[in-house]
Amino acid sequence: MSAIELSNVSRWYGNVVAVNDITMTIGPGVTGLLGPNGAGKSTIIHMIAGFLGPSKGTLTVDGRPSWENPGVYKILGLVPERDSVYAFLTGEQFVRATAKLHKLPDLAGATRRAIEMTDMADAADRKISTYSKGMRQRIKVAAALVHDPQILLLDEPFNGMDPRQRIHMMDLLAKLGTEGRTILFSSHILEEVERLSGTIQVMVAGRLAASGDFRAIRRLMTSRPHVFNVRTSSASDDRRLAAVLVGRPFTNAVELSGKGLQVRTSDFGAFCGQIAALTRDNGIALRELLPTDESLESVFGYLLSDQAN
Amino acid sequence: MSVEAPPPSPGSATGVIHDLGYRRYDGPRLGRPRIVAALTWHSFRSAFGLGRGAKAKIVPVITFLALCLPAIVNAFAMSRGNARLISYDTYSPVLRALVMTIFVAVQAPELVSRDLRSRVLPLYFSRPIRSSDYPLAKYIAFTAACLVMIEVPLLLLYVGSIVNVHGGAAVWAQTKALIPGLLVGLMWSVVLAAISLFLASLTGRRGFATGAVAIFFLLTYVLSQILLQVETQTAINQGPVQVKGGPGGPIVAGPALPVPTAEKVSGLFSPFTLFDGVRMWLGGTTQADQVPKPGSFGAVYALVLLAILALSLTGLFARYRKARLA
Amino acid sequence: MSSLFNPVVAALTFRATLGRRRAVLFAIPAVILIALTLVLRATHPAAGALWPSNVLGDFGFSVLLPLTALIIGTSVLGAEIDDGSAIHLLATPVPRSSVVVTKFAVSAMMTMVFAALPELIAGLLAPHSTKLAFALFVGALVGSVIYSAVFVAASVLTSRAIAVGLLYVLIWEGLLGNLVGGARILSVAHYSLGVANAIDPDQNLMAGLTLATSVILGTIVTIGALILATRRLSAFAIKGEPA
Repeated sequence: MSAIELSNVSRWYGNVVAVNDITMTIGPGVTGLLGPNGAGKSTIIHMIAGFLGPSKGTLTVDGRPSWENPGVYKILGLVPERDSVYAFLTGEQFVRATAKLHKLPDLAGATRRAIEMTDMADAADRKISTYSKGMRQRIKVAAALVHDPQILLLDEPFNGMDPRQRIHMMDLLAKLGTEGRTILFSSHILEEVERLSGTIQVMVAGRLAASGDFRAIRRLMTSRPHVFNVRTSSASDDRRLAAVLVGRPFTNAVELSGKGLQVRTSDFGAFCGQIAALTRDNGIALRELLPTDESLESVFGYLLSDQAN
Repeated sequence: MSVEAPPPSPGSATGVIHDLGYRRYDGPRLGRPRIVAALTWHSFRSAFGLGRGAKAKIVPVITFLALCLPAIVNAFAMSRGNARLISYDTYSPVLRALVMTIFVAVQAPELVSRDLRSRVLPLYFSRPIRSSDYPLAKYIAFTAACLVMIEVPLLLLYVGSIVNVHGGAAVWAQTKALIPGLLVGLMWSVVLAAISLFLASLTGRRGFATGAVAIFFLLTYVLSQILLQVETQTAINQGPVQVKGGPGGPIVAGPALPVPTAEKVSGLFSPFTLFDGVRMWLGGTTQADQVPKPGSFGAVYALVLLAILALSLTGLFARYRKARLA
Repeated sequence: MSSLFNPVVAALTFRATLGRRRAVLFAIPAVILIALTLVLRATHPAAGALWPSNVLGDFGFSVLLPLTALIIGTSVLGAEIDDGSAIHLLATPVPRSSVVVTKFAVSAMMTMVFAALPELIAGLLAPHSTKLAFALFVGALVGSVIYSAVFVAASVLTSRAIAVGLLYVLIWEGLLGNLVGGARILSVAHYSLGVANAIDPDQNLMAGLTLATSVILGTIVTIGALILATRRLSAFAIKGEPA
């Protein structure tokens, strides 16, 4: 199992610091690199891929630096964001040429496998210049996979893909992740990262704002209250539950609406532990209990506003 | 527990557009002439690499300095009491031809190929201008840039000369000699800009465009030179030799009369020799580059030059008639 | 143990360079050279004609060879770096030295075909110029090799390789090389002329260097350029496009 290790890595261009003192480890499975444009995600990916050297700090892939080390490409595949491929080749020729450059023993087999994995078998005989953007992305992924790499880096891979292609690509990446490979992809679209990866690395303005499972990250930020939507069997029960909850120390606020209650609590653990007992003891039937802001969007939003503060 | 979208605020199931302070502008707008003027000025600046990084200025600066060099040398020599070394009509012909070739080959793509490559044409054409305004602005801008490159050294030559001559009559003589030189420079600029912009507009890759323009001018130039040399040699071998004095020393010219047609035709193959032919037809006396005095054949030179100009401009404008992306 | 020449890279390079409109640009000068020779042969077949050395020397050697080498040399690698497709080649374990040497070899071969070969053909077509033709052909072969190395290296070192190359060919070699004696030491044209001159000493060639000097300097420049290009390519950084 190969790991990517960054240790106090910084990268600057003159006065502009693109990456600022980042320390992180990326292991097997799918990891999402999340952040707004300009956060330094592409810079990190290019550094891991050996196309940029760190200005400071150490970056190793499987124990050795990837900078100035073409051997790393035996275990690493890169899908760059820029839309530039040899347009005069057909898809199949391109993947096959990449296989040849990797000196693979079974050219035809590897090529076929990679093309099938990315669902490009129908279009493989056409010139790449006739491909749509989504198809170009997929053929790039095929070329990056042809040598069966342990590590796959994808820079904004879902750019230009329609929903069906996106789902297919996500399934592919998820499958590769469960096979034990290390998949790192960058995105500024929260929904993509949310669906695909449990582990995220959040970058904002060159710094690592958070890393780990995003739900866990959310919980780490106890300064913001959790919000739950609660519904009981009747409006009067809603009101009774509201009264009970207000009396509890973990409740910050309760709001009643036609659709139930909204409870704000700063002590997630206490709330979850006691809500069931509370409703039972008061004879209230609980119909619905939903956390309202577990999504990545709210995590992200909190992080950004935290950074701004 | 499932994930849910942010809670709906009570009562609103419809959408609302927030007033972020977006304002309509209903005041006076500057209109088409100002747009074209802005585009022209911007293009003129980019012909010299202004408004871009330092690297973009390298070629314009080097070529400009190279062109000014003869003027500086002349000023220096004249301060020592020599007569003016260089004529305003031709300046330093080989140097000027080569340096201007480099300038237009490298800078014309900066004006047109860049826009093609970065696909900004739809941005330009979605403004209230006609499709012919874009190439017009580029052409005016580049002609102006070439004018600066050619006329400023001439003016330097002029200034360097008049500080070294004495008396109103001498100054007037210099001025009289300068005017035709400036007009020749105008001819150069107008034609060189047209040809190079047209060739560069055919592709979005700057390197390719530079190569194409450079090859066109250099090949035609050397072609003409060779043909002229060959024909001159043949004429010398065939007729009486005449030795004339010239600015750089004796010139062995072909037979006194008439200059054979073959020799005159040889000068038609390159814009630079065409310039010389037209110049001499219009009364220029300095001989340079072995282009013979065309006599009445000079009309053909002028026609060919005008044809090239017309073709280039037509091609350039046709290129942008449809606002294609590439 | 991988050899320096990589056939896959070579095949890709040939296809990429020849399969585009750019190829027309290489062919035009060669065609014009041969056409010019034929026309002059028909109109001036005289025995003592001086035009062959003009045509072959000024046109073929001083313009056709360096310009063709420039266009070819800067497009074998420069075009890919410029549009970003080089990354697909570089994201493989192919050693950088191999990439550089292969591209250089392809460039040299193509330049020989599009510049040296037409030079020979034109020379053989021109009357009474066989020895000159052969001399210039060999000189052009040498020039193809050295120019290719220089221009391939230039395209790795700068994104404006053609502009720099033009300045070099026209100003350095064209103007200064003939005026200032010292400039010859750093002029590829003069290395090639030196070799040509050794085979067929011809006043009109104006070669300034001896055969030995030309060969030594030419070799140093070629190898130096290739080493420099390899080192720069090993540290190939994506141009900073922050995302």
